[in-house]
Amino acid sequence: MDALEELTKLAGDINSPSVAEWKDGGRKIVGFFCSYVPEEVLHAAGILPCRVRAPGCAVTTEADVYLSHLNCTYMRACLQFALDGRYNHLDGLVFTNSCDHVRRVYDILREVRPDDYPLLHMISIPHKSDEDLIAWFGEELAAFKEKIENTFGVEITDEGLRDAIGVYNDSRDLLRQLYDLRKGDRPPINGAEALNVILAGYCLPRERYNGLLRRLLGELESRQGISGYRARLMIAGSGGFDDPAYIDVREELGGLVVTDSLCFGSRGFWEPVTVDDNPMLAIARAYLERPSCPRMVDKVVERVDFVKRMVADFRVDGVVFQRMRYCDLWGGQLLYLEKELNEAGIPMLSLEREYAMGGAGQLRTRVQAFLERIEG
Amino acid sequence: MTDNKDMLKFAADNMTSIRDMVRDRFGEKRPEWAWIYELLADYNQQVWKAKENGQPLAWINFGVPAELFWAMDIVPVVTDVFTGMLAASGNATRYIDIAEQHVPDYICSNNKVFLGAVLSGDVPVPDVFAHPANPCDSNVATYPVIAAHHKFPYFCIDMPYFTTGRSVEYISKELRKLVSLLEQITGRKLDIDRLKQTMEYSNRTHEYILKTSELRQAVPSPYSSLEAISEYGLVLSLAGTPQLPEYCRRRYEHTREKVARGEGHLPAGEEKIRLIWIYGAPVFDFGIFMWLEKQYGAVSVANMNNNFVMQPVEDISSYDSILDGLARKVTLLPMTRECGGPWENWLDATMDLIRRYKADAAVFAGHVACKSNWAVMKLVKDKLYDDMGIPTLILEMDLFDPRVTSSDSIKSQFERFFDMVLQD
Repeated sequence: MDALEELTKLAGDINSPSVAEWKDGGRKIVGFFCSYVPEEVLHAAGILPCRVRAPGCAVTTEADVYLSHLNCTYMRACLQFALDGRYNHLDGLVFTNSCDHVRRVYDILREVRPDDYPLLHMISIPHKSDEDLIAWFGEELAAFKEKIENTFGVEITDEGLRDAIGVYNDSRDLLRQLYDLRKGDRPPINGAEALNVILAGYCLPRERYNGLLRRLLGELESRQGISGYRARLMIAGSGGFDDPAYIDVREELGGLVVTDSLCFGSRGFWEPVTVDDNPMLAIARAYLERPSCPRMVDKVVERVDFVKRMVADFRVDGVVFQRMRYCDLWGGQLLYLEKELNEAGIPMLSLEREYAMGGAGQLRTRVQAFLERIEG
Repeated sequence: MTDNKDMLKFAADNMTSIRDMVRDRFGEKRPEWAWIYELLADYNQQVWKAKENGQPLAWINFGVPAELFWAMDIVPVVTDVFTGMLAASGNATRYIDIAEQHVPDYICSNNKVFLGAVLSGDVPVPDVFAHPANPCDSNVATYPVIAAHHKFPYFCIDMPYFTTGRSVEYISKELRKLVSLLEQITGRKLDIDRLKQTMEYSNRTHEYILKTSELRQAVPSPYSSLEAISEYGLVLSLAGTPQLPEYCRRRYEHTREKVARGEGHLPAGEEKIRLIWIYGAPVFDFGIFMWLEKQYGAVSVANMNNNFVMQPVEDISSYDSILDGLARKVTLLPMTRECGGPWENWLDATMDLIRRYKADAAVFAGHVACKSNWAVMKLVKDKLYDDMGIPTLILEMDLFDPRVTSSDSIKSQFERFFDMVLQD
């Protein structure tokens, strides 16, 4: 099996054989809900961090007893998986106050399933990134570290954190190399494949993942590049975008997704953590200053600039701005993004979606019209 | 709907006519009703004339202490109160429609009204905008974006998820940064003596509010349903002004006398049901409160949004101690307190309200945009029933837009609720 096939296979399963293997070795696994949770801290504790997702969840009957139809279907699907016991292989769940939907899943699980996990932890993340708040976030992460140590009887040292930063920076560097390959006229990998590569990293021991990424980069050197596409597309927008089928629809119609601004994508790995004397503070800084989610109120302009920069670097013909229905954070962003992209002459397609892929016909029509608009 | 394109002038004119109408119709029988509108009318005139008087206009949301602005001679407009006024006068929907050309429909209509009003040019671009990060995504999603879009100064008072001593320190530092921004905008340093004076007014206000709230728990309720909510805008907008403690003093004394006489808002024996609005209210039709009183003897004795529990700031001797006190206030302002952080914040405050006000039933005016409250509504409803025997009516509506759920529909849901739940 080549590296891409292996990564793709791993991407579709939140409890893959490699996760089971880790668990069989008596080691701990902790799930996390948001890309603002620094995996490095868990890695330094010898714990496997797994990004919480609910691939394939089509029905949320039990979750809907608690969450309402006004809550996003991503969190409803994750809650359903939690209530179904699909996360029972996890030894803990880590939440953030990144949005109203996810913070309430934390509340619900504390109330209705308090004993399912040894660790249910909320990390409070500042909404801005000035020096005071970076320092405060560093303290918050130190409290998280202590909680991990006390819950699992492990020790997280500065040395361990530095090593973890190094391992994760390797991933970031390798993924940047992968994205660089997509800048050319004939990218060796399409958007759906690239998303699978990233998703695989969220449920694999990181050193093994890095090995697979290295192998992938080698294999892609001899892979024939993609040509004959109608337009180079970028996907921007909200979380919960972890279903490659959404990209397939675009690519089947001849649009090639060459980059993104997604938390299940570039925003999660774009900038490395710069190690200094205080590794926890370095992590805090890197996570707050990186390309951001709209929960960060001081980065509205930067966020749009990041999209524009990606458009230029990847020679993007059009941006597909997709967001989960009921995601206020990305919904509000539309006002400024639309204005700025219009002024820059960058075509944009604005789409709302649910977590589970549905309405493919309607989506195809919208994408087809967008491609025609780009082609003029 | 008004044809007026200057919505600050409309607000000033509208409040002045309401004040005159209340004076004419109820001046002798219900003087306390006129007191509220006298203050609101004067305040809205001040807002409208701010530019003319050389005063900057700050738009703030309900979680920002207005004291800092008054102390710096900046006139604060509380967006939520402004939206409420537009909704109550039938003028909110046009701005909602304008905003929905640029943002999704599920963004809070309170935010959409502000967006639409700014985008249409019917309100001036703010000299500065401030809001706290709590309680919801919709604020975080829209205010910084419209500030970037229209390039006006903006400040978010960030708040940690949990309220602790450490988080009060955090917010205090944030307030310091806000003051720096205000100094930059006005070109003036904050005058500490003026701030102390402002805090004295604020403290006296809160002393009276706490004493009045003790009295308001009496059975029968000395406050009307409408009064139980309408002071909200007043307290938020005028905190730190000399007019507010004076109003609160008169209100307190009036209520004390009423309670001493055993007098309720409704005539003797007519108060049948005591309702607590545990979240929101149909702002677009306050007539529903009167209908509930008339039809069912159901008095809305308290409302989460008007539940001011702040103690006066103990130490107002220094800049630091005042900011620490105001930071604590930020964590305790209605809705910021209940709806940010863990769900227990809302549950505990709700149970406390129900106990203190001896409520028979709870009403959740479920604003369609309030995703975080909808997410834990079942948990809260079950706790209220299981632990306190209190039934909850869950309504789905847009608090500012009657096109989502009409007044008639809300009334018929109350009818069914009373028929089914409160028969015995």
